[in-house]
Amino acid sequence: MGNRSDKPMNPLELLAYVLAKEIKDHEVVYIGTGLPMVAGILARKTHAPNIVLVYESGAQDPMEGGMPWSVGGPATWRKSPLILEMSYSFGQIYNGYVDKAFLGFAQIDMYGNVNTHMIGKDFLKPDHRLTGSGGNNDLSSLSEVMILVGLQSPQKFVPRVDFITSPGFVDGGDSRQKAGLLGKGPVTVVTQAAVFDFEPETKRMRVKSLHPGVSFDLCQLACGFELVKPAGDIPVTEVPSKEILEIIRNDVDPRGVFTSIPGM
Amino acid sequence: MGKFSFNEEAVKNLKITDTSVLERLIDFEHARKWHLSKDRSRKDKRMSLKEAVAEYVHDNDIMTDGGFCYVRTSIQSYFEVIRQQKKNLQFCSSPNTNHTYMINAGCARYSHNSYLGAEMRGIDRNYTRQLKAGKVTILSEWSHGTMAQGFKAAQLGLPGVFSKQLLGSDMIKYNPYVKVMQNPMRSDPDPVAYIPAIYPDVSIIHVHASDKKGNARFFGPAINDIAMAGATRKLIITAEEIVPESDIRNNNKGVSIPAMYVDAVVELPYGAVPGQMPGCYYWARQWWEMAFRFGMKSDENFKKFLEYWVFGVKDQYEFIEKLGGSKWIAESRRLTKAEEYDNEDAGVDFNYDEFQGDWPEDITTMKFY
Repeated sequence: MGNRSDKPMNPLELLAYVLAKEIKDHEVVYIGTGLPMVAGILARKTHAPNIVLVYESGAQDPMEGGMPWSVGGPATWRKSPLILEMSYSFGQIYNGYVDKAFLGFAQIDMYGNVNTHMIGKDFLKPDHRLTGSGGNNDLSSLSEVMILVGLQSPQKFVPRVDFITSPGFVDGGDSRQKAGLLGKGPVTVVTQAAVFDFEPETKRMRVKSLHPGVSFDLCQLACGFELVKPAGDIPVTEVPSKEILEIIRNDVDPRGVFTSIPGM
Repeated sequence: MGKFSFNEEAVKNLKITDTSVLERLIDFEHARKWHLSKDRSRKDKRMSLKEAVAEYVHDNDIMTDGGFCYVRTSIQSYFEVIRQQKKNLQFCSSPNTNHTYMINAGCARYSHNSYLGAEMRGIDRNYTRQLKAGKVTILSEWSHGTMAQGFKAAQLGLPGVFSKQLLGSDMIKYNPYVKVMQNPMRSDPDPVAYIPAIYPDVSIIHVHASDKKGNARFFGPAINDIAMAGATRKLIITAEEIVPESDIRNNNKGVSIPAMYVDAVVELPYGAVPGQMPGCYYWARQWWEMAFRFGMKSDENFKKFLEYWVFGVKDQYEFIEKLGGSKWIAESRRLTKAEEYDNEDAGVDFNYDEFQGDWPEDITTMKFY
């Protein structure tokens, strides 16, 4: 992608930074494929060098280095003290050894339910069949704190997902607990426009902070359901420093696989 | 009919009219009987890949995808399955990345899904097309974790396990094997998902080394391979190298699969190409881009892709010639060792030109590392 150093910050870089900040040093963090990987590696190279990264293939706690190209690739297990199996790695979350999990989505609804299965009305004849669950459902079912990341548009932020791959707050209220699911559910959603949390009673998605240059109305325009507006002024999302941007561009994602936008 | 009680809503939603197609995957008695009847003799089980696939992969079998997407996966063996034109296979794996290559050729008719596609290489557009065309039928939807639990339950010798996964999701409505129940040890309401032990018919697992009886050793993520080895009715081990039994006995730390499970041992150097093999070779990045950005686009493209890479070669050596021959092997080993921190990587450059869509005018000049 050439030299990006003279370019202004793009929304994907901001997204990676916001996500990385959700990680505290010394935490055990479960990482899905794509943008979550960028955040995990960025956190490790900046404010959280002592985190343990866990991946679904059984890989965990690799030596620090470049971005993995697969959650089973060498960068997820290079010089690991121990490499396990898939069933064991999910067992670690169930048993309370994982602090946070980071997940992507193709579609999300107002209760934080995630769809990575299909777009369309007929499961057997979908418009687009997507990946299916992978570890997405496991993380959403088991993790104590779930952080969701993806791009925001009215097509992706829908009133009801076409298929619930990974339950968030299901139908809102206490329906997540009633379904027998563990943990606090989706705590944070990060997009290129804003950061969201969920209103404590109804469990409906609420704006927590807006990225620079994004108004609530603009954010609402890019959303297919009615967002909850918090009382008072909505904070502006903190942007990464020039130094952090350099780290993203040079050390974390030098090929710009996840954090570059054509033309930006 | 009648032996199993499937999740009826899922059977209905999936429009499965004859549930006998679902039975063998969870038929423990059948698997146990099969295991009991396996040849116990401490014999040399070596044979060629062609022989192993001909003898142990049968039409209608439930087959697994080993490794993880493109990490230590028996891709060269799957291509042999395609060349031998096996029919109506059920594919049951976590992930199912390499399933797609088997659908168009008519080899894989049914799928037990957990994950289709190849991470950031892209969405499996071929699967969507074949699903709509009725060339593949979904038999069940799983998460990685719950399918892993099904394999693990089989390996551990359990009828099934109770899981906290899949609850509240729509997969419950599309998986005939899973039922939501009340946790019998709790007095308060506590829904759990019952996941049965699952028993595939045939697995092909690629390892670093095996002795001629099938005691097999590998390193890197095990994913589901150890569990699958204990569950599957028939097991083909393909190995980068065959080592003496004394080597296995004296260096047994990495041994993961005991010979008693194994039906056939195939010496198959580069058996995971074009995927990555820990310590041995890197994945052929442009190959995967070509598969997903060119091959998956249309049936026509897919045919061309398979003709060049699968039907146009007779074995992994001819495949590697197309990737770049011995230079590809050397570069590829260098890259994987660098990423694993097993060589001095200061001079190793991971930059490369991504493959972008059209079949090159002269593919022989294309670089795959």
